[in-house]
Amino acid sequence: MAENWYGRMRRFSGGPTRFLSETNVEVFLTELLRELRDDRATFNLKVLLLSPLCEYPDLLCSSDSVGQETALDLMSVFAQCPRKSTQFRSHLLVALTCVLICTSCVRSRSHVALDFLDLLFQVAQDVSDVHNDDTSRSLRATACDCLQEMETCCPGLLSQRLELLSGLRQQETSRLHQVYAGLQTVVLKNAVYQLTQEPGAGAEHLKCLLGGNTSFAWEVDQDAFQTDSKDSAMLSSLIQGSMGMMPTLHTGPDCKELRSVLSSLLEESYLFTPLCQAALLHRLTEVVAMVPGIPPTIFRAQLLRLLGTSEVCLFHATLLMKCAFTDSLFSAEDETFLLKRLLVLSQHPLLSIPEKLFYMDCILHFPENRPISCSDSDEALPVLLTPQLASTLLPTVFNDSATMLARLHLQSLVYLEEGVEESRGLVYLYDHLTSMLNIVESGGSREIVVTFFRAAFLFLLYFSQVHSYCLDLSEQLCRLYLRHTRLAPHLINLANQTQERLPECTWAIGLLRGLQKGITKALLGQLSLQDLSWHLKVLTRVAEEREICQHCSLGFLSSVITTSPLGVGGDWRLGNSFLAVCRRVLLHPTLDSLLIPLADILQHLACYYGDADIQDHARLYYTLLTTVSQEKLAMMLAQEAADNGPQVKKRTLSSLMAENEGLTGALTVHQTETAVLCLTLVSSEGPGESGQLHEKETEDVTDVLEAYRSQFGEPGFMPDVTLKYQLVHKQDQDPRFEQLFNIRLHFVLTDDHYEQLQDINVPCVFKGRPPPVVQLRLKPRQPYPTTLRVSAIFTTQDGFSWHTPLPDVHVAFQQSFLPVPTPPSWSGEARLQLFERLWEEISSETGDCAVSLFCCQLQEAELNVLGNQRSMYICG
Amino acid sequence: MGLRVLWIISHEGGENASIRFSRRFPTVEHRARSLSGSSYVAVPEDSLILQPLLTELGISSSNKSYVAQRDDCIYRPRSPALELRLDGEKTLWPVLNISQGSLILACLPLVDVPSETRPPLSSLLSVSQGLTLLAGLQTFLLGSGGKPYGDGLISRLEMLPSALLQVCPLGTPLDVPLVGVPTTPAVPIPAGTQKQPAWKTGLHRGRAMVNVAVTETVRSMQYGNQSRQDLWDVYGTVTCKCEVEGVLPNVTVTLSLPPNGSPLQDILVHPCVTSLDSSILTSSSVDNLDGSAFSGPYKFPFSPPLEPFRLCSYTSQVPVPPILGLYQLKEEDNQLRLTASLKLHETVKNNFEYCEAHLPLFNRNQMGGADVKVSFGQVDVSKEKNLLVWALGQKFPKSREVSLEAKINFSGQSPGPCDPLCTGLTAYIKLHFKVPDMTLSGCSVDQHSVQVYSSSKPRIATSRELLCKEYYIWNSTGAAPVSFYHL
Repeated sequence: MAENWYGRMRRFSGGPTRFLSETNVEVFLTELLRELRDDRATFNLKVLLLSPLCEYPDLLCSSDSVGQETALDLMSVFAQCPRKSTQFRSHLLVALTCVLICTSCVRSRSHVALDFLDLLFQVAQDVSDVHNDDTSRSLRATACDCLQEMETCCPGLLSQRLELLSGLRQQETSRLHQVYAGLQTVVLKNAVYQLTQEPGAGAEHLKCLLGGNTSFAWEVDQDAFQTDSKDSAMLSSLIQGSMGMMPTLHTGPDCKELRSVLSSLLEESYLFTPLCQAALLHRLTEVVAMVPGIPPTIFRAQLLRLLGTSEVCLFHATLLMKCAFTDSLFSAEDETFLLKRLLVLSQHPLLSIPEKLFYMDCILHFPENRPISCSDSDEALPVLLTPQLASTLLPTVFNDSATMLARLHLQSLVYLEEGVEESRGLVYLYDHLTSMLNIVESGGSREIVVTFFRAAFLFLLYFSQVHSYCLDLSEQLCRLYLRHTRLAPHLINLANQTQERLPECTWAIGLLRGLQKGITKALLGQLSLQDLSWHLKVLTRVAEEREICQHCSLGFLSSVITTSPLGVGGDWRLGNSFLAVCRRVLLHPTLDSLLIPLADILQHLACYYGDADIQDHARLYYTLLTTVSQEKLAMMLAQEAADNGPQVKKRTLSSLMAENEGLTGALTVHQTETAVLCLTLVSSEGPGESGQLHEKETEDVTDVLEAYRSQFGEPGFMPDVTLKYQLVHKQDQDPRFEQLFNIRLHFVLTDDHYEQLQDINVPCVFKGRPPPVVQLRLKPRQPYPTTLRVSAIFTTQDGFSWHTPLPDVHVAFQQSFLPVPTPPSWSGEARLQLFERLWEEISSETGDCAVSLFCCQLQEAELNVLGNQRSMYICG
Repeated sequence: MGLRVLWIISHEGGENASIRFSRRFPTVEHRARSLSGSSYVAVPEDSLILQPLLTELGISSSNKSYVAQRDDCIYRPRSPALELRLDGEKTLWPVLNISQGSLILACLPLVDVPSETRPPLSSLLSVSQGLTLLAGLQTFLLGSGGKPYGDGLISRLEMLPSALLQVCPLGTPLDVPLVGVPTTPAVPIPAGTQKQPAWKTGLHRGRAMVNVAVTETVRSMQYGNQSRQDLWDVYGTVTCKCEVEGVLPNVTVTLSLPPNGSPLQDILVHPCVTSLDSSILTSSSVDNLDGSAFSGPYKFPFSPPLEPFRLCSYTSQVPVPPILGLYQLKEEDNQLRLTASLKLHETVKNNFEYCEAHLPLFNRNQMGGADVKVSFGQVDVSKEKNLLVWALGQKFPKSREVSLEAKINFSGQSPGPCDPLCTGLTAYIKLHFKVPDMTLSGCSVDQHSVQVYSSSKPRIATSRELLCKEYYIWNSTGAAPVSFYHL
């Protein structure tokens, strides 16, 4: 059983929704809870069993009531669990917290949630819980974590318990005082926030809150929590960069109690782990920001220690403090110091790359004492950041990609502000770009290539107005391309993105013009197939530009297809690349002047290209070019150009399609995930047929047996079993499969009792219309039951081809029964006669007869069918 | 504050990626849902996260030279926070990640700052908390310089659920997991009036001992070229191991400089340092040197944790590099002529633990013949790697100058190693050395200056050493890449 659970848990964590869709959620949850109560299961397994509840409580507990029941169950498991299994009990508390919060039991203050809160408080205050193993935190700590999470998710939940929490923290001397402090701080912050929302609340209320009131009545402030908007506002951080939104509590200068709580927390903050210290400082920052009666200088004693810290979270908490208090805590010197610190930290050899990049982000959003811009998300450099200071962060080729790009980004902002005209920095940045280009040219890795193009894009984004550099960059890129044609997609991407981001800038057109020039001047003799196909990709893109003259592109195309051996080779993909250029040129506004060279090319392709498909297409384009007016052509082709999405093209335009991903999609046979169609048996009409025969009493046969036997000598005579099936849709199908065309059914035998079956074509199957009937002609070698594997290929309305499996077709024993194969003209009497003669002969067991016995198990129903089928049948 | 999910992923060059561990924090997710309202994007299941993550990291489909999604030139800050593009228009942000070797650690912090647009990373405390936790987990899984494979990783991954119960039970990181148990036995702290630091797991019992080590690292780029200034810098770390009795014992370590020593800059301290004199922090490497700057002594009062830790780090601007080199290459008659000379500065102790110069030659065929003459030391020629290793041993000669001359032809049939940076005559010498018992800045810790306020007299040991890292001497006759890490 345990093994089974390990497997199930693995499958669950591999894909929870899939796992749960294959099973009954309630049953699974019940089994899980039962196993948790089972004494035979090990605690290791039980901890594992809790993981679905700890990670996906809302999947397992679909409603509040299920959540409550589950929580009750877990609490009873907790109560029965031996005290020494601390680990498991801790996991249980975590699971309970997750279930109760995620099913909203805490928010609605259900009884279970309140009981659980009581339990948590009991555990949190249970000093007898002395932990033997000091390396693991005790259950008390976990209980406090759970309380803190409940308070965080339902702000204000514990505000009545502030004094109790404060007492617990002060008494505690073991490492646990940290968790009490964390809990107290969260509750304090939420309580103060709540007061700020109460009209008229002041120093007295604050005092009440902090001392004395230890009422256990949870219900008291229930009303305050019903509004969701309030809740969500309390969930968010109050330090948000833009001032003036801070809710405030007007207490006057008299808030001794709060001040003493804050001082004592701050004094002890040194004893906390850096992560908890940062969280504590952040929450206390929020508290002090809300209560103007407390001066921010209360933090001053901690500042020196924090300013020199090597811990990223502590320094970050300090920056957020600066964001909240600006010059009421940080002098101008402090500000300068902090900025310089950030510059140092952004490139410190002992820090990790993610940390350095984070610090660089902090420079771009530096919390200035006197910010000039007010927007809180735009990147703006601090005024104090001079080019001289920033020069420590110049990008170099030794940087990793992310660092290099982040530095280039920052420097671009610096020099943009400085003014680009006489900037030495810009010279440096451009030199840097060039040295990266040289590395790419000398065969840099894919990562370097991508980084270089990103750097080039950044440079253009900021300095597209500095023509001399941009012109040079464009020339260098053309040179680079001719040496490494595989960079074509990168260059096309760069051109596309600069055009999109800088619509005013004509740089991309210059680049494309340069590429066109480079390509069309290339020596054809040295051209490899690879190069040529990249060139054609680039020329296709060049042809999209209205302002670029296409004469030389066509000249190049013409000389390739007429003189180069590559041009007539018959490679289908290459042919498509030729056509793609032509297609684009067909759309070009200067088509009139390109008519003759383009027509020549298309004609040449249509006549001489070594692939029939390409020839066909070329011929079509030629016809269009020479017979359709330019406006109509543009309309026909533009439609296709417009929807370059994943949707496949309309059938009518399929022949005008360029080779692209859409086409590849259309040419591929896709596989359906489940069966789309199935074959259902049409009830047999066997006896009816024989009934009809009675009417045709026309021919008289003298020797029935002889006549019967003589049939077998005729070539092609072989009796076959014809079964009729309806081809129908399976239930609940994807709407795109509602109309299917050109269905081809394919059958595979699973044994050798029958001859191979022919494929069957069905023109169409529409949902909602009568299903087509297909006839399966089975030619038996031996009349045994069998199973046929069936699959189908069909086309959907959007032009895609699909392959789908169908459910197997089972041919039962009785389905292989046949009426005696007599010529259709025989009378019923003759047939009866034949049967009797045959029977006699078989019974006498003389001559060449053999008896074949086949045994198979039949269900009662089948037997009845057999019995009902009256005489006149023989098998096979 | 809080993390919504944590993933640990292994891969082999972008292939065979698998999620080795994942942990969701549903209560934080619950908050995320109410905070982001209609713009909420749920964390997808594990199977749907791998591909977008690898694509965004640029390591998916490594067999394809261009993938539009992966290689788009649009600049987005990708590190440390990625934006994962999920199905449809949905994106997941900010996915923090750190990678080492073939292991990727990633987490998704809660965005708890309401904003019309995307709030800056720096406004979210959970970002720096997430980074700290990821770095801690990385050390926990791999050790401080560890390798990501083998049974060690598997057993560490198995320990993760219980480690996370301690350090991040419900999505709020509280601490980083303990890497190892302290070597000396620690006893639980008895109840007393003194509060125990949360970062200290027990009490030391036994002989008191304080060990302070100063390690300096020098980096340099030398061009041997009038038009380009040589660059070098020095950074130092002070590591301590303290075994002292008491719940919160006081220890003070004082760093001192020789007279006229240039001040220590960019000082960063461990969180266990109790207070700092503001003058210690004033000197910064981004400023111009100021003659009147504070130059010590630098006092660091602290209460030590049980495990070894880095008390502080600093940088220093020293007037000269320890070894000055010149490297020249000439291409002559199908062979390459190398001349190199190294000079040890007179202020540097001529007593190395090791000293080696590596002369790699890239983008050429394998070496045929190599005719090498040195004035001192030995040269090992590796023809397959196109590498000369010039071992200088423990001491430079009395003159403190050594030189090397070599003629090399690259007549081998197969190509040697490649480097896109070192084409043509761009080439370098890379130095590797270690000098015990010295620092370039002159910074030292006097044994007698270490103060320990403890009942028993402690044993105090101090040491120092100089290391080099990224110490390059570029061929002065060829182009050399610019490195501006110091202005």
